[in-house]
Amino acid sequence: MRPITFNGFRRTNGAVGIRNHVAIIPVDGLANLAAKHVAHIAHGSEAFVHPFGELQFGLDLELTFKTVIGIGSNPNVAAAVVIGQEPEWTKIVAQGIAETGKPVAYFTIERYGDLATIEKATRKAIEFVQYSSELQREEIPISELVISIKCSESDPTSGHGSNPILGKTVEMLLDMGTTIIFGETTELTGAEHTIASRFKNQIEQEKFWQVYNEYIGFLKSQHAHLLGSQPTQGNIRGGLTTIEEKAWGNIQKIGQAMIEGVLHTADSPPGKGLWFMNTSASAVEVATVFAAAGATLQIITTGQGNIVGNPVTPVIKMSANPLTVSTMSEHIDLDVKETLYRTKTFEQCKEMLMDLLIRTVNGRLTKSEVLGHRDFLPPKLYRNP
Amino acid sequence: MEHSILIHKPEDHVGVAVRDIDSGETVVGLITENNDLYEVKVIHKIPLGHKVALKSVSDGEPILIYGSNCGLALDAISKGEHVHVHNMVSARWK
Repeated sequence: MRPITFNGFRRTNGAVGIRNHVAIIPVDGLANLAAKHVAHIAHGSEAFVHPFGELQFGLDLELTFKTVIGIGSNPNVAAAVVIGQEPEWTKIVAQGIAETGKPVAYFTIERYGDLATIEKATRKAIEFVQYSSELQREEIPISELVISIKCSESDPTSGHGSNPILGKTVEMLLDMGTTIIFGETTELTGAEHTIASRFKNQIEQEKFWQVYNEYIGFLKSQHAHLLGSQPTQGNIRGGLTTIEEKAWGNIQKIGQAMIEGVLHTADSPPGKGLWFMNTSASAVEVATVFAAAGATLQIITTGQGNIVGNPVTPVIKMSANPLTVSTMSEHIDLDVKETLYRTKTFEQCKEMLMDLLIRTVNGRLTKSEVLGHRDFLPPKLYRNP
Repeated sequence: MEHSILIHKPEDHVGVAVRDIDSGETVVGLITENNDLYEVKVIHKIPLGHKVALKSVSDGEPILIYGSNCGLALDAISKGEHVHVHNMVSARWK
């Protein structure tokens, strides 16, 4: 019988983490340097540098706030230090994270300069690292996991191997009561009717059509030929020819599961089950917004070998491409190439993935964590004024 | 018999090479939906992961993969040919 519990960190607000980070979060690009110095001095803390957070407005600003606050609020983060240029926006980010009940402090650079800010923020970071080091893992039901799934640098081995294996795993995880998020709006093109038919209720189905049509409408308004972007040059090199073929491979990864509803970018799922998030298909950006939405573990299938990691959530990467698993073995956590030759069944590979998943949520580091792939990019909607 | 090609559905026009296949090889394809085997003489080099035509397709006709329309033939395609961006195009993003 498979274990139905794991050892995780229960946070003040009840949410469950599988890692125990102390996050140093810059509000804007100019605070990156201070954040990096703080993380360098306070071992065990990590800076989540990004280029945005200046002059933004409206929905674009809201999305940056939502993403940065979401990252600090992720249950894999034990405590957060926020650093910004000025107090107003810095306070908004710090207060957003503080709503989770976890320890948060914020510091601003104007009227102090980098040096004084770095000193004050580092003293707080040291305190937070010591605090987090005393937190203990406890037994948690697997149903409290929030997992995100994505395919990256796909090729036809994804549709024949890693994605159907993930699909079977997703069906089982949903039966166990977990929460799962997938996204990549444009990458459904060709199979979008199948996804639409999977929504459990009509309101969410209509919401799906609205976000899908809006995204496709934007792409069309740019009058660009998308071959080379969707599918990517890597997809094409691997053998994928059209967006429709890529989409059919892509949707294998949710198996036969039904979908609860549509999430806006970086929004947390309001309940258990499978959720579709309106996102781009860019691996770094998608991993960032899934983490901001509260995913504590990410599973990525890859054909040609996407090497993405995320600073907040471990990323398990699996591939069925024999060339990729042999040439890029330092990036691939699970080799499922045998499924192509039918020397292993989908069921056997599903068991391998579940075994690795349980070990990873219990604390085993993924390859992207060991390599230090802490790729991080909040999405941006439009240009600054 | 060991297969060199995987095919999702019996109605599909193409299958995917699970190893590099040389021009002139006669290989076996496995249809994953029903485990039927399908033999095809490959007339181009097909790299691992790339598609080979299992039947002839006329210029402009839909190409089925996963039993679904995944694009259009840009030219007449013969059984055994390599199928990729040179002879197949998206019907959605042209």
